[in-house]
Amino acid sequence: MSTGAASPAELAVRFEAEAALVADRAAFEQLRLAWTGRKKGILRAMLAGMKEVAPQNRREYGQAVHQLKVAVEGGLEALGERLSAQEKADARQAATLDVTLPGRRPRLGSLHPVTVVNRDIEAIFAEMGYSVAEGPEVENDYHNFEALNFPRDHPARDTQDTFFVEGGALLRTHTSPVQIRTMLARAEPPIRIICPGRVYRNDNDLRHSPMFHQIEGLAIGEGLTVGDLKGTLETFIQRLFSADTGVRLRPSFFPFTEPSAEVDITCPFCAGSGESLDGGEPCGVCSATGWMEILGSGMVDPRVLAECGIDPEIYTGFAFGLGVDRVAMIRYGIPNIRMLFDNDERLLRQVQS
Amino acid sequence: MLFSKDWLSQYVDLPADDQELARKLTFAGLAVEHMEECDGDLVLDLDVTTNRPDCMNHYGVAREIAVLFDRPLKPPAHLEDNDSAPDVGQLASITLNDERCPRYAAKLIRGVTVGPSPDWLRRRLEAIGSRSINNVVDVTNYVLWELGQPLHAFDLAKLAGRTIDVRPAKPGEELVTLDGERRKLDPEIMVIADAERAVALAGIMGGRDSEVTETTTEILLESAHFDPRAVRRAARQLAMHTDACHRFERGADPEICAAAATRVAHLIAELAGGTVVPGVLDELGDRERSWRLEGRLEMARLQRFMGVEVECSIVERWLSGLGFELIPVGEDVWTVRVPGWRYYDFENRKPTGAVYEADLFEEVIRLHGFANIPSTVPKLAGIDASPSPLQEARRRAQDHLAACGFVETINFAFHSPQQAVSYPAMGAVGEEQTTDDLATVQLANALSERYSTLRPSLLPGLVESAQFNQRRNAARISLFEVGNTFLPSGEELPRETEAIALVQGGLATQGSAWEPRGEVDYFDLKGVVESLVSALLPGATIGSSEAVLPGFSEGATAQLRLLPVAGAAAEGEAEGELLGHLGQLEVEGPYPLYAAELRLGALVKERRVARVEIPSRYPNVEVDLTLTHALTVTWRQLAARIEAAPPADLKGFELKDRYRGKGVPAGAVNTTISFSYNAEGRSLTHEEVNERHLVLIRQMEKSFGIDGEA
Repeated sequence: MSTGAASPAELAVRFEAEAALVADRAAFEQLRLAWTGRKKGILRAMLAGMKEVAPQNRREYGQAVHQLKVAVEGGLEALGERLSAQEKADARQAATLDVTLPGRRPRLGSLHPVTVVNRDIEAIFAEMGYSVAEGPEVENDYHNFEALNFPRDHPARDTQDTFFVEGGALLRTHTSPVQIRTMLARAEPPIRIICPGRVYRNDNDLRHSPMFHQIEGLAIGEGLTVGDLKGTLETFIQRLFSADTGVRLRPSFFPFTEPSAEVDITCPFCAGSGESLDGGEPCGVCSATGWMEILGSGMVDPRVLAECGIDPEIYTGFAFGLGVDRVAMIRYGIPNIRMLFDNDERLLRQVQS
Repeated sequence: MLFSKDWLSQYVDLPADDQELARKLTFAGLAVEHMEECDGDLVLDLDVTTNRPDCMNHYGVAREIAVLFDRPLKPPAHLEDNDSAPDVGQLASITLNDERCPRYAAKLIRGVTVGPSPDWLRRRLEAIGSRSINNVVDVTNYVLWELGQPLHAFDLAKLAGRTIDVRPAKPGEELVTLDGERRKLDPEIMVIADAERAVALAGIMGGRDSEVTETTTEILLESAHFDPRAVRRAARQLAMHTDACHRFERGADPEICAAAATRVAHLIAELAGGTVVPGVLDELGDRERSWRLEGRLEMARLQRFMGVEVECSIVERWLSGLGFELIPVGEDVWTVRVPGWRYYDFENRKPTGAVYEADLFEEVIRLHGFANIPSTVPKLAGIDASPSPLQEARRRAQDHLAACGFVETINFAFHSPQQAVSYPAMGAVGEEQTTDDLATVQLANALSERYSTLRPSLLPGLVESAQFNQRRNAARISLFEVGNTFLPSGEELPRETEAIALVQGGLATQGSAWEPRGEVDYFDLKGVVESLVSALLPGATIGSSEAVLPGFSEGATAQLRLLPVAGAAAEGEAEGELLGHLGQLEVEGPYPLYAAELRLGALVKERRVARVEIPSRYPNVEVDLTLTHALTVTWRQLAARIEAAPPADLKGFELKDRYRGKGVPAGAVNTTISFSYNAEGRSLTHEEVNERHLVLIRQMEKSFGIDGEA
């Protein structure tokens, strides 16, 4: 770059003007080379121009060039720092994430509502010392009916519409045969089991599914009482639903228990009031009664104990059973049992245990 | 079952508060399901359980109310004749020729005028949903609903020989019943016959030819007792259900026959004129037979059973009120005699012949009320048992698959016969099988053919669920089910094999909406199966062999086995325990589906705690090998070769990449394997490793490589 005939003072002004135009690192490098370049820089040229200055003016000239040099170098340094700061800010800007974008998450699966409820019930009874017993889904008449004091040609069998298998076996209508198998196999009380599983009844409409799930419980020991049955059911129900759930037993009839009781709980949807919680309308879930029938129960019939080789003079026990599907429907607000077996994953995925 | 409040009030003073009446009945075991005003009366709908035929009539319910409210019970009139009996036997005769009828009582009325019933009788019957027919038939119905005893009125003039013969029907015998149906009979069915032919189905329905009509003047009233099982069998066989058989099936009162007949006779005489012939024809099959059962009731045992104290005097009052006779035999101990109307509820006795005390306890408990028994906790120590290995395996499998993104489903256990065999049967994994001749378990009374065959595999239902979701535009499918499969066993019960089935397809589970990873394929599902097996059986290895299976695509399907030891030789691939199969499904859909089905039992093993291997203090040296080989050379072959003579200090190797593209000859593939070396006690140099690795490379290339490459 030519210095022309410009004086150091004029050049200082020019530097200021040029520096003001620098916006990025490349322009800065150009400016730096133009002014401080070792071979062609303006400062270099000015120093070289010393010898053409009259000797008496050299001192003054030298001082002016020195001032220019200080101004240029200082200006460049400040400019460089400003640019670095700028660049850092830009880099930071570029690296900033949109932290509101969704994460790449592993997709979770889900357990079936029936499995979740089964596990919850199993856990409650495990704490009370119960184990889980299982048995075949295809059963014979003896384990499903006869040993449970359902004699042949007895009207009590009418309530259990049975699927028969070619050859005489049947699909179990309840998980009670597992109780029979357990008692026959163990015969030595105490026994505390729960029996979850699929059961089948020849019934297929909006409210019934030909396949559904039951969980039954059985406790046998010396001196078990009706009070023990009540206490066990209350503990269980209040753990499964909520601590303030009301429980009541109504005498009923099952061939395998004596006495037998239907167990009602206060309706979880209207908290037993019989009126919907929002509008004071009659509760549609419990038909405005405030109660829901949820379990069947009773003291094990001595005929059943005797059939299984357990002395009813010494041992007593209680049994109970409930529909797992129904509990799942109540808990998750599923209006129709068939929806549990449609396997629409848009429904199933919402159930996280 | 409907009851009239007005009618009930004839036998007991009812409480003023209907709700209180309903509540007390309900909590004593007679659930009041509904109450409705009807013509100035209140009709109660009671749920009477099958063990309480004694409450299927007004007098029986009144008896319960009398006890519940501690009020006197007023029996109906005319249960006995006032006159002494001349020989009624000269006017008609009865013979019992069937053990299924232990008692047959009859009463005769002469000179009746059949006509309409008076208003009060019509109203009573209509209140409980019964239709008025004529004054004679209505009275028999009335007493059925009053005392629970089914009665039938014959036109005596139409009974040949004026005789009643209770006998099994003759083979091929026919009878036109009151409903006009012609019934074909056989000896399984008990009939009432006259000297010539059957005139009624015992305990079910009368015959048309001997029914009471407007011209009838002479009536024989049947009031018999029939065996509950016999009546039920016959009614089922004939597909009939009547008020009479409803009661006989559940057990009528064997002791009420004569009294009920007498009551009906006098009511008929009152309403239809005529005279009641004094005396009852009362035939008993066995004159010694008693319907009075006995048992022992000990207050101490009762209270221990209930878990609460009850007063002796109250128990006595309740039981006596219900008709039980209490004979003291010690301090707070009685012999209890059961009334005839409760015979069948107590009938199934102890081996000693005494009734079970629990049956007596029940009476006290339901009157005492469950609400008045304090809740307690069973005094049983410890725990029953721990979960079985199968239960643990099932739970771990469910948890693992849910964590891998799979949604658990539950499908029906029955399918159509064709659908059921559209996939390999689980119980038969590995057995030679064509789906055409696979024997399956069939239901005898299925809802329809669609639900007639018990599933031999979980896949038909699971694949159906997958397609259901595909039709709802699911971008990806990952479903599983754990459940039993069924195959005939040759024994009484089929063989049940618990299985785990998986189906997967569509977008990869790990991808996300804004950075998809493409569609899953065979190896994604295989990876899930491998991880499941590792989770349940640490250290186990799966062996795969190509297989042709129904429902699966040829060339993309394998049978899976659990290899006995890690790294069995390639030739030993077919050995090891069968686990199941895996492959691409032959189904239509927006994207391919892959499925696997495994036997849960194969994944249940004694859980051994595997000791860990302490890692070396030195880092591994990692080296890769890329081999170009024919597509026909399997990974299993490559791996077996490495395992057969591993270089010193080789810690492990795994597949890193497969490449078939530019630079790889047709029919060949580049397989890159990465190897990890570690000398445990010291640091290995790259030179050392390379030296050994080169030997391996040369061996591999010599065995499998394609010339001109590497």
